[in-house]
Amino acid sequence: MAAILDLTPENAWSALWRRLREDRAGAVSLGIVAAYLFMILFAAAGILARGWSQEVGVPYANPGFLGERPNLEAALRKKTERKGVAPDLSKVDPLAPKYSEWERRTQALRTVEPERAMTLPWGGDRWGHDVLAKAIKGSQVSIAVGVAAALCASVIGTLLGAFAGFYGRWVNDVLEWLYNVFTSIPSILLIFSLAAVLRSGPFANWFASGIWTVVIILAVTGWTGMYRLVRAEYMKHRSREYVLAAQAIGASATSRMFVHILPNVSHVILVQLSLLVVAFIKVEVILSFLGLGVPVDMVSWGTMLSEAQTELVIGKWWQLAAATVFMAIFLTAFSMLTDSLRDALDPKLR
Amino acid sequence: MVPTLAGVILLVFLLFKFFGGDPSQILAGQVASAEQIDAIRRELGLDRPWYVQLGIFLREILTFDFGKSWMTREQVSDIFLTRLPATLTITVPILLLEVALAIPIAMLVAYYRGRLLDRVIMAVCVAAMSISFLVYIIVGQYLLGFELGWFPVQGWSDDFWRNLVVYAPLPVLLATLVSLAPQTRLYRSFFLDETKNDYVRTARAKGLSEPAILRRHVLPNALVPVLTNVSLLLPGVFVGSFLLEIFFSIPGLGREIYIAVNRSDYPVIQAFTVYLAVLTMFINLGADILYRVVDPRIQLR
Amino acid sequence: MSALLSVRDLTVSFVTRRTSLEVVHGVSFEVRENATLALVGESGSGKTVSAMSILRLLPENAVVDPASRVDYAGENLLTVSSARMRALRGREISAVFQEPMSSLNPVLTVGEQVAEVLRLHRRLSVRNALERAAELFDEVGIPEPRARLRAYPHELSGGQQQRVMIAMAIANEPKLLIADEPTTALDVTVQRQVLELIARLRSRHRMSVLFISHDLGLVGELADDVVVMRDGVVRESGPVERIFRAPQDAYTRALLACRPPLDSRPRRLPVIDDFMRSAHLNTAPLERPAPGAPVVEAKHLRKEFRLRTGLFRAKSLVAVSDVSFDVARGRTVGLVGESGSGKTTVAMMVMRLVEASGGEARLEGTELLGLTAAQMLAFRRRIQIVFQNPYASLNPRRSIGRTLAEPMRIHGLGASEAERYERARTLLDRVGLPREAMERYPHEFSGGQRQRIAIARALAVEPEVLICDEPVSALDVSVQATVLNLLLDLQESLGLAYVFISHDLAVVKYMADEVLVMRAGEVVERGTPEAIFRAPQHEYTRNLLAAIPRGLRSGN
Repeated sequence: MAAILDLTPENAWSALWRRLREDRAGAVSLGIVAAYLFMILFAAAGILARGWSQEVGVPYANPGFLGERPNLEAALRKKTERKGVAPDLSKVDPLAPKYSEWERRTQALRTVEPERAMTLPWGGDRWGHDVLAKAIKGSQVSIAVGVAAALCASVIGTLLGAFAGFYGRWVNDVLEWLYNVFTSIPSILLIFSLAAVLRSGPFANWFASGIWTVVIILAVTGWTGMYRLVRAEYMKHRSREYVLAAQAIGASATSRMFVHILPNVSHVILVQLSLLVVAFIKVEVILSFLGLGVPVDMVSWGTMLSEAQTELVIGKWWQLAAATVFMAIFLTAFSMLTDSLRDALDPKLR
Repeated sequence: MVPTLAGVILLVFLLFKFFGGDPSQILAGQVASAEQIDAIRRELGLDRPWYVQLGIFLREILTFDFGKSWMTREQVSDIFLTRLPATLTITVPILLLEVALAIPIAMLVAYYRGRLLDRVIMAVCVAAMSISFLVYIIVGQYLLGFELGWFPVQGWSDDFWRNLVVYAPLPVLLATLVSLAPQTRLYRSFFLDETKNDYVRTARAKGLSEPAILRRHVLPNALVPVLTNVSLLLPGVFVGSFLLEIFFSIPGLGREIYIAVNRSDYPVIQAFTVYLAVLTMFINLGADILYRVVDPRIQLR
Repeated sequence: MSALLSVRDLTVSFVTRRTSLEVVHGVSFEVRENATLALVGESGSGKTVSAMSILRLLPENAVVDPASRVDYAGENLLTVSSARMRALRGREISAVFQEPMSSLNPVLTVGEQVAEVLRLHRRLSVRNALERAAELFDEVGIPEPRARLRAYPHELSGGQQQRVMIAMAIANEPKLLIADEPTTALDVTVQRQVLELIARLRSRHRMSVLFISHDLGLVGELADDVVVMRDGVVRESGPVERIFRAPQDAYTRALLACRPPLDSRPRRLPVIDDFMRSAHLNTAPLERPAPGAPVVEAKHLRKEFRLRTGLFRAKSLVAVSDVSFDVARGRTVGLVGESGSGKTTVAMMVMRLVEASGGEARLEGTELLGLTAAQMLAFRRRIQIVFQNPYASLNPRRSIGRTLAEPMRIHGLGASEAERYERARTLLDRVGLPREAMERYPHEFSGGQRQRIAIARALAVEPEVLICDEPVSALDVSVQATVLNLLLDLQESLGLAYVFISHDLAVVKYMADEVLVMRAGEVVERGTPEAIFRAPQHEYTRNLLAAIPRGLRSGN
């Protein structure tokens, strides 16, 4: 006994938009995700956090909100720069007479080293990088990886699932075999195997820089969920009467698959895509933590966490906090947005 | 099952052969002469045609003899067998706890669906799931092990009971806590899907109370997807949580694989991958048989 | 006989986050003791919601107006405590639902489920409860009752499942049994048996029955009192004789008259609007063209399905074995049979939507079954199909205009998109829909309107043959007549040949010039509609005819 409400005429997408707006939690989540999107775009364009890799602060600079707390490490560093009187080594060291001359010449060349800040808004890491800038840049990298990988995995899964579900018979058998092969291998192992070969193999140089190694690893191991879903949907829809009607009027198989069925399946794909984004970001963080993720010249939430473990023991907790907070807010908002999306797209509630 | 196994073997072989580096170079190390590299090549059989190499690979799998690890010179099969107990000591309690705890919580939440308790618990779950496992481990290890001293920060021993009671609790606790949130959400959706079915309406029409309906009618039906979920988690039990093993210095399979990856120790990685794939297939077979017990509609082919 | 239960001013609304829709507006009716009350209405009439309110089995988003009352044994059931409600359910008031397969718990045996309701309301041990369950199975006509206790629902037929539901419902000797369309999902031949069972049980146990149905003719044989509902209000109520012989309300009269009559073949079937506007009915007999050269010929069609039962073994299922027919321009051949008879498969084979295992199908001499996909494309213009389910045969994500223009585009009709859209508007005129429909989407239309759109789509390529696969079965009775009239109009003006498929013998008898009766893939009898009706040769045909509801018990 489904309660069917009579809506004013509108197509599926404007209905979706309206229902998302009505759902308060969904609207707030959408706002947060949009804010992150802007932040990422600015970071990618270089407007925000451009100088994240520069050592602008003293090592382990305190966060601004903690004020002036004793910073042993910075003090230690200063200490080691103390100069004393060098002993006379002219008898043993043939270069000894030259030392004083070189000393004079280096004094003449002065490198202007900018004054290192004692405190940074969210503190500094071991080398004095601004943690806030790292967090923003890291957001860009982690989210970009998650979204790119999710898109790639979705394309692969959707195409394969569409063919398997629509054609059935031997196409389905072959693709099911492929699916079984991939899912028999525990994903951690597949990820590790791929990481191992992509790092040390002939393609290591192709992917050395940039995020594409991680994206490929994630996409190749993560397409199976989308495949299963899309295949089930196509199997359901291929014998539906509107598809038979399209066949009866003479529409080609490709037309039936992608012009007729795909729009009716797109809401399922969208929700699954969002779930993949969240899952992939979490995996990327772990991979980067282990050094198997983004290359060393980039920062992600994972690399920040890898430094956090040793920092915590000496009482420096702000990098851990920054990475966790930025990640938690984004993933919570995105997950809740996905839930709202799923509710808004549920045909039974329409 | 056989075609899938063949596919897995083929995939692993091709992956390492064509995408991996030249093993002889990796083994020889940085400073090796050409003769040394060639010698290693001959020893590994890399100078033979690819289908012969595939045959060697197959023989290794069937005789459970992958040779020695490139790094430690241990027999790969030995590595596998000696590390497995440590992994199981951690992962089996985790699996048992997360399923056993998630079912009643999910039932509770399903009973109160739509109300405040349901929404609060679900929101907490979502927030908990947004924090990386790493953070839980780092903070948990620091707070509970280092600061408060309730559990040892790291360590393992040779005695099973000592491991179970002293060294396992902290990692098990952390992992269970982390997986409780997604499991509860998942099981909740199972229960809620079942409550939408017509037979629930019939049960109400008979005069049963809501808790009785959940217990006697919904739960047996919801066990089917739960079983699917457990059979998907079981292979992970054998792979182990490499993160836990690394952080807590537990000599298990997961840590072993991680070390092998870092050192490009191909025999170890290949062997583990193939054997765990085989294990997964057996687990799926077992799950199929178990379905018949749980759901009378399913007939074995 | 006093009132056992009376519903007064029942008002129910469904609410979602923002909106609220009232579906039942102040409905009142009474169920007398030891009598059957039929609640009749089409989909959307609010009959099921009204009945389910009695047991408070409405969905979670349903809100009952506080002014509503359901009086039973001195209490207002809408306001009693949940505990009291649970005590009444299954004991004094029980229910049987429409879909027996999904209404039974699939993982428990039927014996356990019946025993459960016994043990819940009486203190019986498990063994005694099962004993009693076996007795109940026997009473409702389940063969081998003791053995059946251990069966699971999916192991029983639809009819037997429904009997199990009935056994569960009468187990505690209720005073009122609410039956929500209990026979709609069953085969025609089983329907009659279940109806007779309910009638028998009612008199034996002296209980009242609230029987919900969309078919007024069906309840005429069963009910003592009738309540007719439409759009959430009661249109008319009274004793069954009066309702049938002297209906006061226009809608009631329309419901009674809209079914195709069995004894005549009028030019047009009366539709609801005719009654609402008191229009004059055209009862002149339908004129049919004489039989000519066949435009479609099917010979010895056969379809065999292979099911894989193991890695290397397969089982074959013969869905259609040896079906032949032909139809000339302007004429209709009817295929009638129940679900599983293969009639739809025949249609699918002729349309090449399913590949035939054997036989021939010719369109004006050209053999269709051997053509390649490319060759078939040209013929797809000449033979089209209208499907049963109007809710599934239109792509929900496409506007009506796009749906109608697509076949024209594929077959190169119309010089430009604009011209195709203009032709589409003409088609809409032809099927009686407004031109504004072009920009709308399927979900904005009712079932009958969607079916007309489907017909318009089929006509877009100007076919010669139209296959109608149960085109009105999913529609309400009052709407069926509209669509049937439309089909007849089109056939007359366009000279189309029809292959008309249905499980409803009355509809086929009305529409067809020649009838084939199918069962389990075979044609068991063929002939003109009059011959089949007056002198059925095969036993199955006789069963089908006997199962047609005749209206009032004493004959309409």
